Amino acid sequence: MFCSALRNILRNSQNAAKNATITSQIRNLRGQQSVHHEVEVLTSPGITTKQNDKKTEPAECEGSKEVALDFRNREAHVPSFNLAAYVNNSSTLQQFLSLGVDLHSIERRKGLGDFVLKLDFEKNVKPYITFLVDQGVSPDDFGRMFTKNPLLFKEDLDDLQTRVNYLKSKRFSDEARQRILTQNPYWLMFSTRRVDRRLGYFQKEFKLSGHDLRLLATREPNAITYNMEHLRKSVFTLKEEMGFNAKELSDLVVRKPRLLMIPPDDLVERFSYIHQDMGLPHAQIVQCPELLASREFRLRERHEFLKLLGRAQYDPQKDLYISPKTIVEGNNFYFVRNVAKSDLETFDLFLKTR
Amino acid sequence: MALTKVYDAATVFKHMNGILNVYKPSGMKVKHVRNAILSNICKGLNEMEQRKPRKLQENISLLGTGTAADHVLHNIGEQTDLSDHLLSTGPRYLPRDLICTTVSSLGDHTSGVLLFGINRGAGQSSSIRKNRPVRVYHLIGHLGIATENNLPDSRVIMRSNHRHVSADRISSLAASMQASHQRKMFELCGVDLQTQEAYELACRGLLRPADDSQPVVYGIKLIHFDRPHFTLELHAINETQEYLATLVHDMALDLRTVAHCSQLRCVRHAHFDVTDSLLRHAWHLPGIIKNLRQQRDILRAHPQLLRQQRVELRATD
Repeated sequence: MFCSALRNILRNSQNAAKNATITSQIRNLRGQQSVHHEVEVLTSPGITTKQNDKKTEPAECEGSKEVALDFRNREAHVPSFNLAAYVNNSSTLQQFLSLGVDLHSIERRKGLGDFVLKLDFEKNVKPYITFLVDQGVSPDDFGRMFTKNPLLFKEDLDDLQTRVNYLKSKRFSDEARQRILTQNPYWLMFSTRRVDRRLGYFQKEFKLSGHDLRLLATREPNAITYNMEHLRKSVFTLKEEMGFNAKELSDLVVRKPRLLMIPPDDLVERFSYIHQDMGLPHAQIVQCPELLASREFRLRERHEFLKLLGRAQYDPQKDLYISPKTIVEGNNFYFVRNVAKSDLETFDLFLKTR
Repeated sequence: MALTKVYDAATVFKHMNGILNVYKPSGMKVKHVRNAILSNICKGLNEMEQRKPRKLQENISLLGTGTAADHVLHNIGEQTDLSDHLLSTGPRYLPRDLICTTVSSLGDHTSGVLLFGINRGAGQSSSIRKNRPVRVYHLIGHLGIATENNLPDSRVIMRSNHRHVSADRISSLAASMQASHQRKMFELCGVDLQTQEAYELACRGLLRPADDSQPVVYGIKLIHFDRPHFTLELHAINETQEYLATLVHDMALDLRTVAHCSQLRCVRHAHFDVTDSLLRHAWHLPGIIKNLRQQRDILRAHPQLLRQQRVELRATD
């Protein structure tokens, strides 16, 4: 319709050019000239962009007008490799900086930078902050939580409330829930059914009571949301390769749930050194699971130093007993002074001979 | 002069130059040692005082109105550039900001002195490498057991009796091998050992190989014997871990038994001694800076490490 009107106007202007003698036609000519100016303004962008596609000409005119007039939005649409280019213009990103969110860490993960850039603070972020404050999470932890898991803002608030209510119904205390949400921001991404299945796996596998299960989940919330295949492999390693029985395994896992997240090869190496070279039995290792969580070269250095001094005696029934727990405590200076009763120069000399 | 504490990261980064002498533990790759040191340097620098974010350039010219609100108006005109904040751009110092090259590599099972050139020290490290300094090793051999790769982390392939081996026999064999290697050096130069030309070559200093292909042993002697273990001190250029392990095995074969190399330790690299090495628990920024200064003093005391006249071994075919 608009195009047909354009064509009619063009034809009228052509006809007016032929008859120039009559005064009434002169007045018509003035009117046609002003209309011609408008025609030029309206049609020139459309014609130059897409001459054949007549249906989209009005949209093209509107788009070109907006682009030409608004210079501030143009900067925001320029592609960039990081979020720092948008920080000065985006109030949402500035609010994230105030909270302590590490935007540099977020942008390096695929897709998250784009997601964070499109958030609106008042609409997308503020309700979740209110929700977390209601759960008792400390505002100092918001930066770390949002850095780890910005996809929290994708979840529905009712679902989040349901998941927290599930924890409440399972008799997790307020402090336990705060710790779980703070230590593991991914927990809220898991549906209630999935979390229930995970907790059921732990309870059945290790024959845990309700209290022990809550203790395990609170000590290491990341173990609950860990890769299930890795968990099964670690359990197999602890049970079959190292020879812990069911009771010992339960005690180990409840005391140190992080053992389930250590690569099994490293775990076997540490156990082999502790059990064979240091001579500790299974019962003593269960009493002190920090040994398995410690790195092997530290154990080796310290044990061989104690053996050199003649103080490597871990049997509680004999004299000069040294608790295995103290070997993994503190830095080297503390170990040399308080456990080995020696000086750092001797330790340095020892380290340079092996 | 009085020592001053430095809190500025840029000042420390500016002085992060020179040769670093670290003690590489056995069982750790050179690549992992390098990554650990660079990470610890950047971690230390990022914990120090760093420059503040930049200020945005405002086109607004705020004129003083002559009232008490002047300082407020000037503060409004000066805004911080949030894109330069640490949380936006990430840490100020990254491991790839530092250049770190090794002078000579060490095998996985070898422990001991490992030299790194950091930033401008990379040029120094290549100069030292071109001068082919001697490295001194302590090898501990284990008589009676042979392994697949002559190192203790592989499978045992042979056992044999070693009661007939004594310290005197090992010392004699070591002296014989040392003489053989010295004779080989002069043969590679194409001169007869009984000539004046050989004497003049020997007067000019150490004969060093011209390239990296030929391991040369300059000295080998027994320093400790406690059956079934024996310790050799070995001075060599262009040696590798496999060569040294095979050497211990060949010595045992000459003694009509078998052995493997249970420990390899590099105790000296030219004038960089193991007593100056930086242990693993000291691989942090203060220890590294202190060690760089120590090695700089050693380089100043021995300038021939960087610039040296040398006689090169060449085959004359």
